[in-house]
Amino acid sequence: MVEPQSDLPAAALNHLDGLYNLARWLVRDPAEAEDLVQEAYLHALRGAHQFQPGTNLRAWLFQILRNVFYTQYKRRKRDPVATDPEILDGIGADVYPDGDAARASGSADGTLRADLAAALERLPEEYRSVVLLADIEDFTMGEVAAIMKCPVGTVKSRLFRARAMLQEFLRDYLRDTPARPRGDAQDDPRFYEDRKPNP
Amino acid sequence: MTCRDVREDLPDLIRGHLSAELAGNVRAHLVGCPACSEALRSEEQFRALVQGYAPRFTAPPALRARIQVALRDAGRPPRMVWRARVRRHPWLTGVLVGAMAAVAVVWVGGAWLARDPVARLVSAAVDEHVEYVRETMHRPVPDAEELLRRVQSEAGFPLGPVFRGDAQAPLILATVTEVRGTRAVALVYRNGPERYTTLLLMPGADALIPAEDRLAIENFKPHHRVASSKHVLYWKQSDVAYLLVSDLDQSDLGAMFLKVRKPA
Repeated sequence: MVEPQSDLPAAALNHLDGLYNLARWLVRDPAEAEDLVQEAYLHALRGAHQFQPGTNLRAWLFQILRNVFYTQYKRRKRDPVATDPEILDGIGADVYPDGDAARASGSADGTLRADLAAALERLPEEYRSVVLLADIEDFTMGEVAAIMKCPVGTVKSRLFRARAMLQEFLRDYLRDTPARPRGDAQDDPRFYEDRKPNP
Repeated sequence: MTCRDVREDLPDLIRGHLSAELAGNVRAHLVGCPACSEALRSEEQFRALVQGYAPRFTAPPALRARIQVALRDAGRPPRMVWRARVRRHPWLTGVLVGAMAAVAVVWVGGAWLARDPVARLVSAAVDEHVEYVRETMHRPVPDAEELLRRVQSEAGFPLGPVFRGDAQAPLILATVTEVRGTRAVALVYRNGPERYTTLLLMPGADALIPAEDRLAIENFKPHHRVASSKHVLYWKQSDVAYLLVSDLDQSDLGAMFLKVRKPA
């Protein structure tokens, strides 16, 4: 992923949708997500000299987005979704961009989308971010670790726990999945804990 | 490889992020290990579920356009020609420094305003507020319902629910105006002797509320500034941007904000 520094602004725009998607899951409110993304881009521009050409621009931008989120939102314990009914309404509307047709029709896809969205909402932010970065954005475990500023082992542990929680929330959809053997040491999330981070 | 090693590598294996050699070793282990094979199947199934069904949000075109402009400006190559000329003619340095110093004062102010469009908006809102207070400070309290009916019909954009005033903060003026070229509705409330609050409502689908300097008032966090000794709050509800300029102290500001943010 080589991006010469002079091409950085143009290349940075290619990642807007991914950054906005993560921002929406982080702050939920569309206007706040726009603010967060714009702020992240401004930080990236101000710190463009710190970006090393040849390194991963996309991961760098996602890392900045999370940094901005933590410094400007999380630290102030913003949690608009839990309190502001207007924002709560907004979430429903945006999760179903085509309206409530899918939900109302009771189609399997529509219901699954709704339930998966709700299940992701229920995850702690760190778990949800790992799932989104790994499964939606297709980052490697090492890249997710760099973005989230934690060891790779922690990322794997969070991914494991997130999957376990989602499986529990969505067990009706996953009932065909054979039960995993009980007592398997590797099914214990601690399996991934205390592992040395990958170099 | 142990099961522990293999399980650690499964997330990267299904994403194709392992080296060929390591992927080969993991696959060799999977052939003879039903438990790890089942873990792989579960991992793949879950990834497919999330990829296929998790809602994805696309950046609004207005945001894309704004960021495009910011990035384009930042990507412009610096002009090098003058540096080369100064190197060839050192006396130019003195002339340039003098000229740059003279221009700097103007430029810094302009650049600051350009980088901070909200500052212009706030400045205009405070000017409007001062003007309204001057106009209306001796005016008797009018019929709020009639005022609002008229202004709603003239506004040209949906206002949504607005605070109609109460005994502590009666509405004394409602008028259509312009704030920096944007059609707006101004509502002026009298909070007491020589203490007024002006609320400006503007179409705000594209308005960007700065992320910093937010003031926590109950569950809300409007952007907050102080300009010309007035408190200014800036926030968005639906597609309407709100600018509140008030002579109130910060201790009373929250209560007034809540009245207009959550009108009965």
